[in-house]
Amino acid sequence: MRTQANLIRLLAPRLLGLALVASVLIALPLVVKSSFALDIFIRILLFSFIGVAWNLMGGYAKQLSLGHAAYFGLGAYSSTILQVDFGISPWIGMIIGGIVAMLASLPIGALCFRLRGPYFTIATIATAQVLMLIFLKFRDLAWGAEGTTIPNLGNAPLMMQFDAKAAYYYIVLGLLAIGLAITYRIEHSWMGYYLVAIGEDEDAAEAIGVNAPRMKRDIYMISAFLTALAGTFYTQYIYFIDPATAFNFNISIEAALVSIVGGIGTLWGPVIGTILLETTSALLQSWLGSSFGGVQLTVYSLILMAVILWRPTGLIGLIGEASRRLSRRKPVSA
Amino acid sequence: MLETLAQAVINGLLIGGIYALVSIGVTLIFGVVKIVNFAQGEFVMIGMYISFYLATQFNIDPLASLLISMPVLFVIGVLIQHVLIRRVLGQNDMPQIFLTFALSLLLLNLALMLFTANYRTVHTWYSDESIHIGGLYIPVAKLIAFVLAMVLSGALWIFLRRTDLGKAMRAAAQNRDVAMLMGINPDRVFCVALGIALALAGAAGSLLMPFYPAYPMVGQVFVLMAFVAVVLGSLGNVIGALIASLMMGIAESLGIQFVGADSGLIVIFLMLLLTLAFRPNGLGGGRART
Amino acid sequence: MADALVIKNMSKRFGGLQAVQDLSFTVRENETLALIGPNGAGKTTSFNLITGYRRPDGGSVSAFGREIVGLPPHDICAHGLARTFQVAKPFGAMTVLANVMTGAFLRDKTVGIARDKAREAIAFVGLSAKEESPARDLTTIDQRRLEMARALATQPRLLLLDEVMAGLNPSEIDQAVALIGKLSERGLTIVIVEHVMRAIMAVARHIVVLDHGQKIAEGAPKDIVENEDVIRAYLGSVTVHAPAAAGESSCSNSPA
Repeated sequence: MRTQANLIRLLAPRLLGLALVASVLIALPLVVKSSFALDIFIRILLFSFIGVAWNLMGGYAKQLSLGHAAYFGLGAYSSTILQVDFGISPWIGMIIGGIVAMLASLPIGALCFRLRGPYFTIATIATAQVLMLIFLKFRDLAWGAEGTTIPNLGNAPLMMQFDAKAAYYYIVLGLLAIGLAITYRIEHSWMGYYLVAIGEDEDAAEAIGVNAPRMKRDIYMISAFLTALAGTFYTQYIYFIDPATAFNFNISIEAALVSIVGGIGTLWGPVIGTILLETTSALLQSWLGSSFGGVQLTVYSLILMAVILWRPTGLIGLIGEASRRLSRRKPVSA
Repeated sequence: MLETLAQAVINGLLIGGIYALVSIGVTLIFGVVKIVNFAQGEFVMIGMYISFYLATQFNIDPLASLLISMPVLFVIGVLIQHVLIRRVLGQNDMPQIFLTFALSLLLLNLALMLFTANYRTVHTWYSDESIHIGGLYIPVAKLIAFVLAMVLSGALWIFLRRTDLGKAMRAAAQNRDVAMLMGINPDRVFCVALGIALALAGAAGSLLMPFYPAYPMVGQVFVLMAFVAVVLGSLGNVIGALIASLMMGIAESLGIQFVGADSGLIVIFLMLLLTLAFRPNGLGGGRART
Repeated sequence: MADALVIKNMSKRFGGLQAVQDLSFTVRENETLALIGPNGAGKTTSFNLITGYRRPDGGSVSAFGREIVGLPPHDICAHGLARTFQVAKPFGAMTVLANVMTGAFLRDKTVGIARDKAREAIAFVGLSAKEESPARDLTTIDQRRLEMARALATQPRLLLLDEVMAGLNPSEIDQAVALIGKLSERGLTIVIVEHVMRAIMAVARHIVVLDHGQKIAEGAPKDIVENEDVIRAYLGSVTVHAPAAAGESSCSNSPA
């Protein structure tokens, strides 16, 4: 029928484009051999993933959390404790970490969702800080302030340790793909509509039958779960964990930032934002070295301010304007 | 034992005065402009650095430098409202939250770049002096800071209650539309609110210099205190913020004295979480839901 | 005919203000009832109490035989009560179609079906031409239509309309009145809060008058317009002329 034919005509270029990008990404480690460059790509993929996880809650439902480091850290610590103390594979630990994060999001959400707007944000910051303090103070829990290193087992795929950097690349690429797939499915289902409705006007959403408390709770759980996976991955990648790293406020900041800069509440926004911010960061580092503490965040904050003042919907709007002329699909979020 | 308790209370009360200056600024901005100023702590930091440089370059006592730091920060406040904040008013939460948050990040990291993370201190003749009453030691620098903080708070109170501009601010805080109908220019009122709030932050910074080090991250501690005090004292409630700040200073001090030296932060967070759990509207009435 | 909505002794106090006091009235199924009264009488508060945005201090509200006090708004909507807001609350970032689909999802979570249902509701209110427009670009009137379409998409049995006629010109009022009439023909029970007498007289079978949170009169439209308490509540002490025409009520104010 005509709608189907139209749909195919509209989707074809997009699917083609997607296939192209996917092939490039998959082939990348075969072409790029530099460890340094691969590291940058891994960082980009990782923070894209963290951003995508944040975006589900912060972008669509507009629950602006600056405390997602809490779940990053919980994931990181769960898998590490299981690995170092009990010898359990981080593959399993990763999932368990995700579950721990999901469960933690319930009481945290119950507390924080009582507030709206900036006070919700402050409450999330507070909870992440509290977790950091707990892990700093209680050494019996997990090594206290010094943290621990992951025992190096050489090439041990079953324990998520690899000699080849490319392996880490593929893992985090897979995570990002999962995150994007989940986001895509949600965006195009009733859940997506409900989340955006809540983000736009929670009271109006309730009036048409949207169970806002439950939806917020559910999306928070998903967001927390995914963020925790990132925590496990990162710990395995750098072979080290401590409270300052695992619960670092900068993680919370970047999780939100990449989505806001790239395109809050859109599928690709976090990816675009990450590419911009991480590339900028890498350039800064190569120009200035690590001698200037504070440069990266200074630049990030300037970019953030510029976006807020001139394009609050994010940079994806620039690209979106072009592609929207091709597509007659109603955007769930502008 | 009683002496230790009394001493802890005194210490807490005195620092609470500084917290009050910071939190009153936050609650004033929230009440009038209806945004949360995430960067309030950074303006305390700026006040501290101003006083530091005036002290080291020109030998000006930090207390005297109030006369400079406060007006400078007032002007900064007006500029920030007029140039930045005005553009995001009327939009939804995200720009409003993240604009001041970005500002906070910017100022903190600029300070890090310009001044490095080193602690800067100023030593005055009264920095180490204490008054002895009974068995209690009252540090002079902190006492002066407290007294001046209360004076400034009192001055603000009189301003809000007695002057036309102050009443205009309260009117705009309660009902912006009606205030506009009454001929009150919201932008002007907002500029004044920002100016006053930042001036108070700057004052806090100057008052802190004799006994507290300046460093880029210093604002973070104070702004955290401020937020908790504002929530506890009810959003927009100036007296509430004042009283809550004093209470928090005392609570923190008691925590440090009786629980442990690094328990201060935990006490604060506990207070925040308890407030959120049981009394999200604070103790002063009003709604925490925007 | 059964009772769609039974309100008994509903009360609500805000601090020092008794916003609603001991309010009782019943709406029969498929009836159109108008809730009127001067500003501040407690009409919107009553809506908020009925639809679960505020909890009454006392009294009971039962809809289609079920007690709904204490239920959250989304459950009350699922039970069949839909409302519009005095100031329209569109989901600005979404298109008109997406807005209404969000309402349709209550009854069926399938995107295709929701889209079809949404299109029906949009056609009913006359917004089909603007289906793909972002909701934030709509005129105020169209935003009101959107509110109504969105509420209708939830397939309500009872519709609460909060001042949908405010600011409309006479021809628009007639259109809105016709719309309400059509809804009534479909079997919907309707409660409207209104100030526009012309509309009230045209659609309402039964009127409840509030003043300072209390019910001061109740009855058929022609009785209400002649009711002295009602007139006094709106206008102060007055000399009353007989209504000039159906839909018009004229009173003159004389110093008393």
